[in-house]
Amino acid sequence: MNISLKKELPRRTFLRGLGASLGLPLLDAMVPAFAAAATTSSKIPARMAFVYFPNGVQMDHWTIKADTDISALPATLPRTLEPLASLREDVTVVGGLTINGGRELGDGPGDHGRAGASYLTNAHPKKTFGKDIQTGISIDQIVAQKIGGQTRYASLELGCEEGIQGGNCDNGYSCAYSNSISWRTPSTPNPPEIRPRAVFERLFGSAEVETDPVRRARRQRYQKSILDSVLEDARSLEGSLGKTDRRKLDEYLFAIREIETRIQKTESQNTRAVPSIAAPSSSIPENFEEHAHLLMDLMTLALQTDSTRVITFLLALEQSNRAYREIGIAESHHGLTHHGGDKEKIEKCIRINQLQMAQFAYLVKKLKATPEGDGTLLDHAMVVYGSGLSRDHDHDDLPTVLAGRGHGAFRPGRLVRFPKETPMANLHVTMAEHMGVPVESFADSTGKLNYLSDLG
Amino acid sequence: MREAHSAAVAGVVILSASVALISSLSSLSGQSASFSQSVQPVLARNCFACHNEKLKTGNLNLEALQDNSQASQHPEIWERVLDKLTAGQMPPPGQPAPSKTEIAAVTHWIDDLLQRSGPNRAADPGRVTARRLNRVEYHNTIRDLLGVAVHAADEFPVDDSGYGFDNIGDVLTVSPLLMEKYLTAAAKISKLAIYGETLPPKPTVLVRLMPKKGHETGVPPAGGLTLPFSMRGAMYGSFVFPADAEYEIRVRVANYRGQDPNDLSPEQLAQIEARRKAFLARKKQGGGAPKRVRREPTAEELKAREDAARQAFPPVQLVASLDGRQILTGVVEGDVTFEYSRGEFIARVPVQAGEHFLRASFPELADLDDPRSNVNPDGRRKLYVDYTDIVGPFNPSAAPPESYKRIFLCGHAPGHHQPSCARPAVENLLRRAYRRPVTKEEVDAKLRLVALAQKEGDAVEEGLRIALEAVLVSPHFLFRLERDPPSATAAHLVTEHELASRLSYFLWASMPDEELRRLADQGRLRQPGVLEAQVRRMLKDPKGANLVDNFAAQWLQLRTLGRTKPDPDRFPVVDEELLDAMKRETQLFVSAVVQEDRSILDLIDAPFTFVNGPLAHHYGLKDVHGEEFQRVSLDGEQRGGLLTQASILTVSSYPTRTSPPVRGKWVLENLLGTPPPPPPPNVPPLEEAKLGNTLTMRERMEQHRKDPACAPCHTVMDPIGFGLESYDAVGAWRTKDGAVPIDTSGVLPGGRSFSGAKDLKQILRSQSDAFTRNVTEKLLTFALGRGLESYDRTAVDQIRRQVAANDNRFSTLVLGVVNSQPFQMRSGRE
Repeated sequence: MNISLKKELPRRTFLRGLGASLGLPLLDAMVPAFAAAATTSSKIPARMAFVYFPNGVQMDHWTIKADTDISALPATLPRTLEPLASLREDVTVVGGLTINGGRELGDGPGDHGRAGASYLTNAHPKKTFGKDIQTGISIDQIVAQKIGGQTRYASLELGCEEGIQGGNCDNGYSCAYSNSISWRTPSTPNPPEIRPRAVFERLFGSAEVETDPVRRARRQRYQKSILDSVLEDARSLEGSLGKTDRRKLDEYLFAIREIETRIQKTESQNTRAVPSIAAPSSSIPENFEEHAHLLMDLMTLALQTDSTRVITFLLALEQSNRAYREIGIAESHHGLTHHGGDKEKIEKCIRINQLQMAQFAYLVKKLKATPEGDGTLLDHAMVVYGSGLSRDHDHDDLPTVLAGRGHGAFRPGRLVRFPKETPMANLHVTMAEHMGVPVESFADSTGKLNYLSDLG
Repeated sequence: MREAHSAAVAGVVILSASVALISSLSSLSGQSASFSQSVQPVLARNCFACHNEKLKTGNLNLEALQDNSQASQHPEIWERVLDKLTAGQMPPPGQPAPSKTEIAAVTHWIDDLLQRSGPNRAADPGRVTARRLNRVEYHNTIRDLLGVAVHAADEFPVDDSGYGFDNIGDVLTVSPLLMEKYLTAAAKISKLAIYGETLPPKPTVLVRLMPKKGHETGVPPAGGLTLPFSMRGAMYGSFVFPADAEYEIRVRVANYRGQDPNDLSPEQLAQIEARRKAFLARKKQGGGAPKRVRREPTAEELKAREDAARQAFPPVQLVASLDGRQILTGVVEGDVTFEYSRGEFIARVPVQAGEHFLRASFPELADLDDPRSNVNPDGRRKLYVDYTDIVGPFNPSAAPPESYKRIFLCGHAPGHHQPSCARPAVENLLRRAYRRPVTKEEVDAKLRLVALAQKEGDAVEEGLRIALEAVLVSPHFLFRLERDPPSATAAHLVTEHELASRLSYFLWASMPDEELRRLADQGRLRQPGVLEAQVRRMLKDPKGANLVDNFAAQWLQLRTLGRTKPDPDRFPVVDEELLDAMKRETQLFVSAVVQEDRSILDLIDAPFTFVNGPLAHHYGLKDVHGEEFQRVSLDGEQRGGLLTQASILTVSSYPTRTSPPVRGKWVLENLLGTPPPPPPPNVPPLEEAKLGNTLTMRERMEQHRKDPACAPCHTVMDPIGFGLESYDAVGAWRTKDGAVPIDTSGVLPGGRSFSGAKDLKQILRSQSDAFTRNVTEKLLTFALGRGLESYDRTAVDQIRRQVAANDNRFSTLVLGVVNSQPFQMRSGRE
């Protein structure tokens, strides 16, 4: 069902100035103005996404017991994996992967902070309240920096929980480490967008997009001059700043250039994607499931319209204290995971893990229901579901599910158990290669992973 | 005198640095005997059992520091040791404790070391990394720069925080997403500032403000603004009015005051039941309701019914207010149908453009002992504001918006600007936006944007709008940059404009105002008396609320209140209105300490607080009525000070219950600045089977403390938390937890026994040094926008002493921070 945007957003021009929760319209220069038939590209690109859940799992209710390291998924899945029951042929359950960088390594407590910040970087985050934040570049960004030029957005970062504002996070680790899993540089996180409406407008624009060609062209000339002018401001500072200030200026310059390229790309693009869903409400749903579904609908659209090929998604932040009342659980998630053996609490942890998994299942079904080329979007996508913690606060045998086939990168329907201590980075290197970004080595990687694809 | 001191400080520092260096070198040999003779043996006997190479308990290995020269290289370790020793927190109870002389020998050596390394390290005032404006600062700066009330920054991603605060330069990054939002916001704000709000051709419903209908109801469909849930049926929230004009405030009231089944007599209930059964029987036979002969009631009958209704449901007053000013009253009466009816109350009021706070409520309901008496058995509230529409604008003012006046200095009417107006306008804008004097080249560069627009055929206004749009994304605006003077390799005073910015972002979270700017322009900010007068003026200004809303709210972790809401099944009377009231109490309380320049120790305990009706009921306080917050005196038995405020007690609890260790940790971390280390990895779970379910929380925790891995911290945390057990997880007073009577007694490390919050507060007050040091460190961190380093210790000590010498006054603390070396200075190029 295609719905015209103009109809969907009445009075928008006026309302935009009113009230806290009404969204800002998208910078219109970044939205193609002219609707046209969707281009059909001859080569369907591969896509990559990561869906993260915090606080680990109850491994007894995650681990599939099997005699061999590679086997078909059993008829009965462990409880945490149950939401994937109908998707058995679309997912690979992976065991044995470790992120060594998440471990203590002499730094003492703070496994939550490290889990988030090492999940896609495989680096050992520097323990700091903030002065010298340092982890690694995350794999999504390594890929985005290489192939991001082919899409309007190099990558998208989404999430269901707003970052912690003030106060302390995990034992001497700045909140920056747990607020984002995507890191553009070792010190610059990419914060997730949690407002469905804002994501929608980034993808499809708002009613304000200027469509008059003359005015639009003039507007774009102004935009360019504005960017030139502030670039000049920034450059005039270059010589006069110290080392750390210089780092901030570099972040600024990078961001401006990124926007410039995005605008150029838009100019050369003659089509405007027409969304198949209505613009979501400007409020953020309180209900977790509703929130996740909205964002996952948009995530699917972003991949489908080839607005980006790389997405990360934070279902909740490490050490999240969210209480999942929608399934009758009043206690905070993180509190429950310190269950001290209490059976009732363990049961609640399992149910929360199931709820999280159900969101991932929703996404996989969505991708599977989206036709693309001769198959579906899922056939061309690699989606990882996982956490940087396994049992308690361990960083080995991390719970990992791969969905999709990624153009033959994965052969789903199986359990694949790697030897203990196999670096998670190996999975990342493998996926990057399938995205067309060969990576010689990445963090502690020791090679590519065999056995995941049809080939080996 | 203080100002004179700070002006001369640069020279003094360099001198004292070299003196200190020499003296510390010369004293090295003399000290080594003392370390190996009187310190290390004590450590070996009392500390090495845990703080050794293998265990590194608390991430501390004292064994590694084998001789004086090794030990002297780690003043930061000794600071921690000193803090723990003086707080009596180490060694933990149950472990052999050193004698007083032994402790004195150790602390003496540490003091000596810290003093030797102190002045030396104090030569470095530190370098604050260029600070990007955070969301609050961006919002405030736009408001003060342009007079535009727009919540653009709400769309920005959350600012990461470090050291407990979200204004730390090193942590505030710029992502492409944020840049995209900056550009979008700049486009929008510049349009608003130059052209004002685009008004609809005729008055329309601008917004529907919709309070939530239950503890956990979701959001309404697009177009409405969701507001907090109030069991007492109130509606409150802010709205940005687009123009100076008249507006209609249409308050829609729901009146579901059916007969409460609890109030019905058994006979009445039996009658209803019989009617219901008869109806169901008829329905089963396919008969349905009996046909009624409808007849219009006579005037007398109608009047009788209305009278009966009024008696059954007495009229209740509805009041609506805008920024606390009453704009509407109405009476919600009993209804002829005895059933559900709604009514609309309309007020038409002139409102100035900008953000205003609207409230519509039934003040009488604030005095309900239990808000559940406004809830029907079916869960619906009896009386509530269903929604409020804001309709307008009627007769909008033709005058240009406030922002227009701030930009167009020529004073010409819209459309009549000459190109010659552009230069003064741009210069004025840049100077204010960049918070410093600007060069001709900088002005010229932005004027080129104005010229470009004119070349394209647009008016001067549009040209200025484009220039403004560029200014709002310039690094000079988005960052607070401090420039080193040419060839400055040594520590130096920051410029007066930089100092003005440091001051205004510290106290106001916004740009300097005209007065600060003028003083900086004239180079008078550091003249005797000027700085202090400015600080006092700024604290009095309404913008000074920043210290409460941002500093205290982050320091005390109030921002997390409501992030995970108390479980509505266990705490059904805690609605969002009560959570907001809790927060408000703490804000008003801290604000009183600031505004009345009270002792900061009053934060621990004070004989007053602020409550409104609902919060007073929550506390069981008598004689407080209505919705307005009022100052009340306390006898100190149950309440008094931050620790006994519901906000703090809720923040330091789980959603379902209290946790003594969590509360203990909250106190140690936030009040005393001595956070316990986190639990060691792989703590064996409490064996529930062995413990059974019959144990009280206290008994369970005692079991827990028997484990040597848990004991060191829990013997400190738990007693503090148990001292606060008289307050439940939402801060209400209790004497029992379930069936178990509350026991608030405890023994602190060092053997001091106490019982209850009152004793606990006394003990905390007696440790005022630790408290003052902690508040000083937090405030200095917030003021500087960076984490404190070991070289800041001297500044902290100085401020702390000044505060103690001046009755612990809040203003002394703020002035101490403002006059401190790290605030006044910046070290040389890295």
